[in-house]
Amino acid sequence: MQNQDGAVADREKESAVSIPISEVDDWANFADDDIMQQQSAIHAEEAKKIPFVGDKEPLSMLAAEYESGSPILLEKIKVLDQQYAAIRRTRGDGNCFFRSFMFSYLEHILESQDRAEVDRIKGNVEECRKTLQSLGHTDFTFEDFFSLFLEQLECVLQGNEDSISQDELILRSRDQSISDYGEWFGWLVVMFFRFVTSGEIRKRSEFFEPFILGLTNATVEQFCKSSVEPMGEESDHVHITALSDALGVPIRVVYLDRSSCDIGGVSVNHHDFLPTSGDKSNAKGGSTVPVKPFITLLYRPGHYDILYPK
Amino acid sequence: MKASRARLFKEYKEVQREKTADPDIQLVCDDSNIFKWTALIKGPSETPYEGGVFQLAFAVPEQYPLQPPQVRFLTKIFHPNVHFKTGEICLDILKNAWSPAWTLQSVCRAIIALMAHPEPDSPLNCDSGNLLRSGDMRGFQSMARMYTRLAAMPKKG
Repeated sequence: MQNQDGAVADREKESAVSIPISEVDDWANFADDDIMQQQSAIHAEEAKKIPFVGDKEPLSMLAAEYESGSPILLEKIKVLDQQYAAIRRTRGDGNCFFRSFMFSYLEHILESQDRAEVDRIKGNVEECRKTLQSLGHTDFTFEDFFSLFLEQLECVLQGNEDSISQDELILRSRDQSISDYGEWFGWLVVMFFRFVTSGEIRKRSEFFEPFILGLTNATVEQFCKSSVEPMGEESDHVHITALSDALGVPIRVVYLDRSSCDIGGVSVNHHDFLPTSGDKSNAKGGSTVPVKPFITLLYRPGHYDILYPK
Repeated sequence: MKASRARLFKEYKEVQREKTADPDIQLVCDDSNIFKWTALIKGPSETPYEGGVFQLAFAVPEQYPLQPPQVRFLTKIFHPNVHFKTGEICLDILKNAWSPAWTLQSVCRAIIALMAHPEPDSPLNCDSGNLLRSGDMRGFQSMARMYTRLAAMPKKG
């Protein structure tokens, strides 16, 4: 009985937020804008549940989530538990890969104070800028996003005037920082990564074309316009490969899904995206230095979170 | 707000510099409000809109360029993806496929491309969409041409 009442109450709540009947009477007035507004209202509602970038949680929280779930997943989480200490969730709004990457990378620099890495990535960012220019992008369409990312690199290095703490990095990543761009911070950085990813894919379109054909029917150009550049378009291995190559940052993705192999219990698959050198003369000897990725993401079908090794 | 204003100012300068680059588009910013723009675009050749000049109104949100400008036709046009009464345009890049890589100028180019390549399967103007979907090209073209003459061409004395 109580359940039923609850259901009724829920339905009443639903109708309270939906569009008043009188307006819908005339469907000619029920335009795309209304639908978009309704969609963003739904998103805003969802948004309250998980921040853009969550708190660090012990891996046991992940197990708790699947308590009554698939035994294979629970087995796999046990395996993960041996190697990883913590998880940091990100919001599933289609930008989770880029936001996970953003936070993970900046946090790594903040903790390691690896100035050489910052200098190195700045060189790659400069290359990306040239790529976009050579592809015919007008500078002003991307330059703000580039400068914001470069500024953040300086901010996470300590000893500068505008150095920031980890708390501030978290606030910024949640779009809660009190500064000029505060409420848009994450969006702007995500957009920087989207520009970089799109530029890399189009620069090496022959390389990426077969992978893109495997995903959609689109041409490389169409793919970038429809699945890379727009906000909220989810990322696939094509995006990850391109971003990793463009910025020269290795990324490990650990897969938590229900796939299993029969031999000798469960194991958890991972894939390392190791940047290939853009410089052809270096590439011929296969001289890629084996690097251990310092960014580890947990992939569950449709979503990426951040993992922390032990 | 500050960022959108700065970006629009850059677009404004670009438009001034490239004034002659695209003779089919004349993009003008409101004298007193940089968030309001209008554009005159030429109907593409070999379409029923050829010879017409169509006026567009842009309302740019404060979150621009993270969010798309709102654009609608001020000139009446008979096109499957343009609302016949309000001039609202159904174009993916103005909705969920928007990205800051677009500019007001390139949005105009995309709208011209849409005029030449209507998408009758997602119609805002069902009469127009139905004509195309039923394969009545002649009917569609004569209606579209009639409205181009009535609304988008200078009245002959």
